[in-house]
Amino acid sequence: MAENKYAKDETIRLVNEIVASTGTTRSDLIPILQKVTNNLGYISQDAIQQISALLKIPTREIASVATFYRMLSTQPRGRHVVQFCESAPCHIVGGREVYAALKSALQLEPGQTSADNKWTFITTSCLGICGVGPVILIDTDIHGNVTPDQVPGILAKYA
Amino acid sequence: MVNLKINGRDVQAQPEWTVLKAAQNAGITIPTLCNHKDLSPTGACRMCLVQVKGARGLTTSCTTPVAEGMEVVTENEELAKSRRSVLKLLLSVYHDAGYANNEADNELYRWARFYDLDPKKLMSPTPRYPIDQDPNPFVFVDLNKCILCTRCVRACAEVQGRFVWGISERGFESHLAAGMDQTMLEARCESCGACVAYCPTGALALKPSVYAPAAEKKVTTTCNYCGVGCQFDLNVADNQVVRVTSNPDAPANGMHLCVKGRFGYSYVHHQDRLTKPLVREYLLKGEARPSKKDRGPWVETDWDTALNLVAEKLAKTRDTYGPDSVGVLSSAKCTNEENYLMNKFARQVIGTNNIDHCARLCHASTVAGLATALGSGAMTNSMKDIAENANSIMVIGSNTTEQHPVFGSKIRQAVLRRGVKLIVADPRQIDLCEFAVLHLQQKPGTDIPLINGLMNIILEKGYVNTAFVEERTENFEAVVENVKLYPPEKVSKITGVPVEQLYQAVEIIVKNAPMAVFWAMGITQHTVGVHNVFALADLQMMLGNFGIPGGGVNPLRGQNNVQGACDMGCLVNVYPGYQAVTAEASQRKFEEAWGTSLSNKVGKTVTEIIPGVLEGTTKALYILGENPAMTDPDTNHIRHCLEELEFFALQDIFPTESSAYADVLLPGVSFVEKTGTYTSTERRVQMLHQAVTPRGEARQDWEIISDLARRIINLGGRRIYPTPWSGWNYSSPAEIMTEIAALTPSYGGISHQRLDAGESLCWPCPTPDHPGTPILHIGKFTRGKGNFIPAIHLDPAELPDEEYPMMLTTGRVIYHWHSGEQTRRVKELMEVYGEALIEVSPADAHKLGLNKEVNKVRVTSRRGSITAGAWVTDRVPEGLIYGNFHFPENNINYLTKAALDPIAKIPEFKVTAVKVEAVA
Repeated sequence: MAENKYAKDETIRLVNEIVASTGTTRSDLIPILQKVTNNLGYISQDAIQQISALLKIPTREIASVATFYRMLSTQPRGRHVVQFCESAPCHIVGGREVYAALKSALQLEPGQTSADNKWTFITTSCLGICGVGPVILIDTDIHGNVTPDQVPGILAKYA
Repeated sequence: MVNLKINGRDVQAQPEWTVLKAAQNAGITIPTLCNHKDLSPTGACRMCLVQVKGARGLTTSCTTPVAEGMEVVTENEELAKSRRSVLKLLLSVYHDAGYANNEADNELYRWARFYDLDPKKLMSPTPRYPIDQDPNPFVFVDLNKCILCTRCVRACAEVQGRFVWGISERGFESHLAAGMDQTMLEARCESCGACVAYCPTGALALKPSVYAPAAEKKVTTTCNYCGVGCQFDLNVADNQVVRVTSNPDAPANGMHLCVKGRFGYSYVHHQDRLTKPLVREYLLKGEARPSKKDRGPWVETDWDTALNLVAEKLAKTRDTYGPDSVGVLSSAKCTNEENYLMNKFARQVIGTNNIDHCARLCHASTVAGLATALGSGAMTNSMKDIAENANSIMVIGSNTTEQHPVFGSKIRQAVLRRGVKLIVADPRQIDLCEFAVLHLQQKPGTDIPLINGLMNIILEKGYVNTAFVEERTENFEAVVENVKLYPPEKVSKITGVPVEQLYQAVEIIVKNAPMAVFWAMGITQHTVGVHNVFALADLQMMLGNFGIPGGGVNPLRGQNNVQGACDMGCLVNVYPGYQAVTAEASQRKFEEAWGTSLSNKVGKTVTEIIPGVLEGTTKALYILGENPAMTDPDTNHIRHCLEELEFFALQDIFPTESSAYADVLLPGVSFVEKTGTYTSTERRVQMLHQAVTPRGEARQDWEIISDLARRIINLGGRRIYPTPWSGWNYSSPAEIMTEIAALTPSYGGISHQRLDAGESLCWPCPTPDHPGTPILHIGKFTRGKGNFIPAIHLDPAELPDEEYPMMLTTGRVIYHWHSGEQTRRVKELMEVYGEALIEVSPADAHKLGLNKEVNKVRVTSRRGSITAGAWVTDRVPEGLIYGNFHFPENNINYLTKAALDPIAKIPEFKVTAVKVEAVA
């Protein structure tokens, strides 16, 4: 895992707050991990350790959950996360070309984060809005019916 | 019982069984990969699919419970087809680079071949992961061979209780990973190797022996580290132990082992092993010793020369200064048979009761305390019984997961599987605290106030088991009077444990009866060690936790055979079977048996024999497998005493720190080279079997002792009449056990023959048809009534003051064993723990100014000073440091004090006042 870019104390304080407002049962684990990802940008080792201590769930089990779901990340991510749907419905309506345009506009391979820390590019499975494919999800914004030539314009909206 | 049909056969099953278990029980094999009887079923591999009449599709037999009238088919063409496709899928992502000789153990290969598939042809041609990807020196990780069965994940979580392994990512990317995608050791792996033992494919392998040849033979034997009594199979090729593998039938441990048991054997083949008798040159030349401090060069010699020399010297010392001028120290690492001979040697051949061993330094307080209170100084219940039946467990002064690791994992299992309430009472925050509902962090040396304080509350709350106390015990009033002096507030002040925790503890143990108490050196190694033991016996009698499953007092004995060495009479006051030397009847019994007159005077202990050199009372020593220069308190003083000895014969497998002071070194053999028995802390007598032949001219220890005894007897000076048991012409260890059984009532029914026939016997086992006694004191205490004895608190002999403001407590670490003669010669153990570290609390580290550059401490007591690396950890509270005695250059025993318990003569290793300075 990458080095934690947040101070340990800050992470622990944040995790404590999130757990206090969420709960300490096993079923609270996924919401907690989601909130940690949203607040810290990713789930650091310090965060896992603190969650483990509060929920009494071994760090290894938390790591299994954290690496299983694509909406969670154990790697530091850029300010904006671009998720591209790689499922079949998007694929057959021109997804492959959009994918190529995204890669060249971002200059990133899936899973990578840009050097200026602005972008993280990942692929995802179906986002459940196949009617408007190809679909790109940037942070929490859905972009549907995307064509390759729209890609630079969409990205330009993000600072 | 549930009735079902499997393959047309009528089968009966317990209602809670799965279809798989019902089939296995009926002798029907269903192929499995992810399933293992010790682990929870998971249904991952789909090999055990069966047809159940009326069910939709195929059913996983490992997770489906049996039901009345169920009709199951386990083998037909459709199932074979399904299994073939499962195997093909598994093989399609499996790659074996072919470096290991483990094909015979590969369950994937076995089932592939069973279903007419060629695994080598079907496997993936390319690896996906690097081979040997984890730096752990014990476990070899090759994920190319991993089939994601998760047996390792479950073994780590359910057997060892450590949760190192899990699956990362998902789908095709799923892979086994440690911790938070860390290395195994970073993920807090204890390197027990359980994951390896349960792996069906060799994806996880024993790293030290990955490339070793396949075993020519497997020899089942008993581990020679701690007192748990684990058994395993030594895999032997070309007269070398090439690996240790689990033996599922092992009574105490099953498949489980710890890092030392599974990986700590390579010392037996170390180049330092003594292979020829060594004698100092001055003795061979008949000259005077060069000087007291310098015994001159060693010369290799033959057995006759060496043994004649020892015989003459010991006989001469006996005849000149009297029998009590000779000290004989036996070894808790050696077998019962050898210990019996050492006891007979001292008492019959020399004529002294100066026979002792390292129990004096570990559980002498337990033996003395429990013998007085209950009549028998041993663990009352077995670990299995406690894990299955206790509802609460109190661990006081035992770092169980490190010192008795397999029992430590059984305690964790009891907490995880049955929700047993665990209370840890320890000055340090040991690993087991993670599993505890309550950690009572008493100050070192305040155990009596703590336990008396709990009894005070039990009385206050009316929780006394009155029926038990009235029927089974005596002298209760004395304890009632005494514990009144320990009210909660006062106790809290002395111990540092908050009052509310004292009340909580009482509620936990009373509401979750039966409670079993475990202890080790934290209780015994004090000047009030015996009273500490009284307190715990009192507590359990007050609660009625005796003679029942899941209760009892359970001292965890340290050495593999320290229980046996005590049983065999290697103690100053008793013959084998705890028959007192001062009792006329036992004196007469052994005089008749051994054909000579015996001393009825209690002998000198380890802690008196060696200091006795300076007082002129000890002139010569014969030591079997002990290393006092490392293990006894106040090392500088011990070394000075050894220098002054007139003659010192040492029998061992390595040159040790103590051999620098010896005149003759007799090469004995290690546990893999001998046959005999060890008695575990559960009083379980178990066989060890010779697996390889001794190195060089090293001889069986029982032969050396017997040979020496015959030579001394032949020199005359002490009349020994021929009687059935007076001779020394043994033909085998089995024959020695026959003599033991004849003279030791509690071993009366024990023989190698019974043990080799597969019986697992806990003493007392008085007759050949007796099944042994797993639980002591059922219905009646060994001594009759349980004896309540008031435990009186006294401060430790040395407390911090202005000059020495901190407290030092001592012990071992998981990776090493005592003076380290074995474990320091195991490369892999040295890789993970290669130097002594002193545990220092973060607060003290800050005060001392410790940092990355300044990371050592100099620790000084009134007796000595050592420098060692600092391990800054919150395992120790502020004001307390912890050190070990595994490494000669910074052995903590340079600092400890030989302050003795007045009854048991055990030194107070656990409390020393020290000053600590940071050093770069």
